[in-house]
Amino acid sequence: MSGTDRPSVLVVGIGNSDRGDDGVGPAVARWLRGRLPASVKILERSGNALALLNDWEGCSLAILIDASSPMTEPGRIRRLDLTQNPLSLAFSPASSHAFGLAETIELARSLGRLPLCLVAYLVEGEKFAAGAPLSPTVAKAVEAVVERILAEIFSLPQTWRDHA
Amino acid sequence: MASRKIRVDYIARVEGESSLDLHVRNGAVEAVRLSIFEPPRFFEALLRGRGYNEVLDIVARICGICPIAYQMSGVHAIENALGIKVDLPIRALRRLFYCGEWIQSHALHIAMLHAPDFLGYPDAITMAHDHSEAVERALALKKTGNELLRLLGGREIHPINARIGGFYRVPSRNELTPMAEALKRARDQAVDTLRWAADFTFPECARDYEFVALRRPDEYPMNEGRIVSSAGLDIAVADYQAEFIERQVPHSTALHSVLRERGAYLVGPMARYALNRDRLPAEIRALADEVGLEPVCRNPFRSILVRALELVYACDEALRLIAVYEPPARPFAAAEPKAAVGHACTEAPRGILYHRYRLDRDGTILEASLVPPTAQNQGVIEEDVRRVANAALDLEDEALQARCEQSIRNHDPCISCAAHFLKLQVHRE
Repeated sequence: MSGTDRPSVLVVGIGNSDRGDDGVGPAVARWLRGRLPASVKILERSGNALALLNDWEGCSLAILIDASSPMTEPGRIRRLDLTQNPLSLAFSPASSHAFGLAETIELARSLGRLPLCLVAYLVEGEKFAAGAPLSPTVAKAVEAVVERILAEIFSLPQTWRDHA
Repeated sequence: MASRKIRVDYIARVEGESSLDLHVRNGAVEAVRLSIFEPPRFFEALLRGRGYNEVLDIVARICGICPIAYQMSGVHAIENALGIKVDLPIRALRRLFYCGEWIQSHALHIAMLHAPDFLGYPDAITMAHDHSEAVERALALKKTGNELLRLLGGREIHPINARIGGFYRVPSRNELTPMAEALKRARDQAVDTLRWAADFTFPECARDYEFVALRRPDEYPMNEGRIVSSAGLDIAVADYQAEFIERQVPHSTALHSVLRERGAYLVGPMARYALNRDRLPAEIRALADEVGLEPVCRNPFRSILVRALELVYACDEALRLIAVYEPPARPFAAAEPKAAVGHACTEAPRGILYHRYRLDRDGTILEASLVPPTAQNQGVIEEDVRRVANAALDLEDEALQARCEQSIRNHDPCISCAAHFLKLQVHRE
């Protein structure tokens, strides 16, 4: 890392808070505010996944939180290391607007624009109705994801956490 | 082989979800059906009963790629109903707003969605290994367009700063000036993108489209103008529904628009350019000549060049507007509701977008009619696929499918907007 104003650690909550469990990413981001060193940047993103390429530019570690498609166990938390591995479309179906999260991560990999480490926490959603709140099982998972991310960030070398 | 069926269940690199069915019998294409299966979104019904001042926030939600188009057609239609005249700086800011949308939308489509077809890659991700410079250029252009949208709209997707009569807040000269530096770099990147695309190999294809676009005496159209066509149509926007009709088709959740007298027509960059080339500045026309873009382009595969030319123009126009910008004395003109009908048509990146609203005395919306460009282009797209497929029937299914998908992407369809979209199936019998 060179001396820039970029944070070395970035946390991005991805999703739409007005679409039921799709709001789990932003909910986690909001819970993390005030509980992380000031140098850790926390963002909420919805819509333009390509913006992530600029968001994580220069970062040592980017942690993404997103909802995954309903499969078998609503509220189940999966931690995926995407530094070397693609995000399976089983978790993140293609966006109807051409460039979703999985495509953006692979485009960044092609261009050499991934952060040094890229991690995603995916919370399996249950309901995605317009205007609905988080379903109880997913709301319960929010706190668990927050605790895991806090533990992950506070176990990082000091130089990563405090870089600003 | 007397019979052949090709079906593409999800057409990739388009905005939204659709499928294509191609039926081939005895060596000729018998049927082409472009099925848009996104659920209907009922925006027109959703607008009924809402206040006129809620329109811009609601219609911005129709599309994440072209929300400005929806907001601009909406704002002009409501202002047309209420008889509101806006100050010239507001008009200039709206045009600048639209430039931002053209830049980000065109850059995305040219490099990320359309170019892989010409260079033989399945997608932009694979293409980026060999053409990283072009992809980086497109990403930088998109970023600049989005910055302009954020500056004027508060945020880049579903912006919140436009309102009836103007803007909630207008930028100062000092806020716009830094954008000029980014736009100068974007202008160079757009010219490089045009020259890069000009080296592609384009399949032969000549179509006798009826082009439809807006036209004004003094500028390349964006926010206003008369509706004109290459077959001599020249009408006020208020007469749109007298000349154009929408039809339901069983295989699609999107309505098909046709000219009442002559059927299918084409909107979008090819139509705008064919009907308004004389309204482009000399340096933009010179660039068109340099890359061999003919004054009237009838080969849909070459639409990528027209889009790239418009990309350069949008950067130039944004720079011009910023250079002469003087903040308006008031951010918006006040409005009094009344019972009235208003119409507007603006040039979305994909072509004309028509809005009509009927308001009650207190400004409640009684009726809303929104006709997006992709709904208008569906007939032409199906006919394009029929002709392209007929000329390429000797290809294996996989190559034929790729050619058909390319011919659909020529028109940058926005399925989400039209769903009111792509899978391909070729049925050979």
